[in-house]
Amino acid sequence: MRNLWNIYKKGLIDENPIFVLALSLCPALAVTTSVVNAFTMGLSVMFVITANNVSVSLIRNLVNPKVRVPVYITSIATIVTFVELVLEAFAPLLYKELGIYLALVVVFAIILARAEVFASKNKVIPSFFDGLGMGSGFTLAMVIIGVIRELLGSGTILGHTILGAWYNPALIMILPPGAFLLIGYMIGGLKVYEAKKAKKLREVDAQ
Amino acid sequence: MSEIHDTHAAHVEKEYSILQIAMNLTIACLVSGIILATTYFITHPIAVEKAKMLEEQAMKDLVAEADTFNAVEGQEGWFAAEKGGSIIAYIVPSESKGYGGTIKIMVAVSMDGKVIDYNILSMNETPGLGDSAAKEFFRDRIKGKTSDDLIVVKDPSNKENVQALTGATITSRAVTDGVRAAVDEVTEFTGGK
Repeated sequence: MRNLWNIYKKGLIDENPIFVLALSLCPALAVTTSVVNAFTMGLSVMFVITANNVSVSLIRNLVNPKVRVPVYITSIATIVTFVELVLEAFAPLLYKELGIYLALVVVFAIILARAEVFASKNKVIPSFFDGLGMGSGFTLAMVIIGVIRELLGSGTILGHTILGAWYNPALIMILPPGAFLLIGYMIGGLKVYEAKKAKKLREVDAQ
Repeated sequence: MSEIHDTHAAHVEKEYSILQIAMNLTIACLVSGIILATTYFITHPIAVEKAKMLEEQAMKDLVAEADTFNAVEGQEGWFAAEKGGSIIAYIVPSESKGYGGTIKIMVAVSMDGKVIDYNILSMNETPGLGDSAAKEFFRDRIKGKTSDDLIVVKDPSNKENVQALTGATITSRAVTDGVRAAVDEVTEFTGGK
């Protein structure tokens, strides 16, 4: 049980897909102009990555190692198309908003990376938790970026005005350069935090 | 000698695995196809229904008083908004070239050639600047105007014409031109009544 929690937990901060692994930066830049979009994208990716980890883990002994990547990509593409069809039917407005980025989930590095690194070598249940953890970490990062960008760029959160009329929205935060700056600062901040943590550990060891 | 033998063995094994590889991929694609076909079969009718509902809702938002919307014969994409059996407005698609590509608009035009409202279907204008063209405050600048008044100006005191969006003159012009084209088409269609 503890083991599974550790597998889940590492995706949140220690191996956060965006801030630490620096994978899948394209959606982190493109779809985080508002919290709703960022959150939906995060959930979609979480679903795809978890479902894909499970299916890759299930077929890991059947797939010829020479064609594992094409087979994994087929699996990812199937799941993504499934999500697209379901969203189109049940949430057409969101579907329209996510547009091309949803189809691009197929080629997100993080999904193939988890299939290759984890799911193809582990049993179904750990793979499920790995996918869930990585997906949660991805969603968390997307929402954090989304909140900051929406707040600074339009003065709203989830469409509700937070900063009043006195606030002149910083347009750059809505545009891609703003996202680059923000992600850079966040990665930097996390590195500082990790360095401090490591230093503390060393001090404890020295004593 | 043994080296040659080894190469030969590897060759045979490779040939065998090509068949296996093909089978592997074929089965993967077959399973994928079956899953997607089943999903599509279930979701497609719902998606079509939802799209129709959205379209109707969009038209209802444009012309609130109308009770039915019927396609106009011979005019592609046109809808006549009717109230109690008589036409009160036409809803016409229009497009023009904006700052970031084509802007597609649905325009509701009243029978006396005035803009009732419009709705931007798709555009790729700058977020925060050009995309304000879809917002209420800019729509208010266009509503109620006739073809002759639909000219973009930069003078805030001018209420006759359409005041440009700050920092997005090209978008303002594109939207205004698109709307005016729709108004002209309707005026022509109704015979300038």
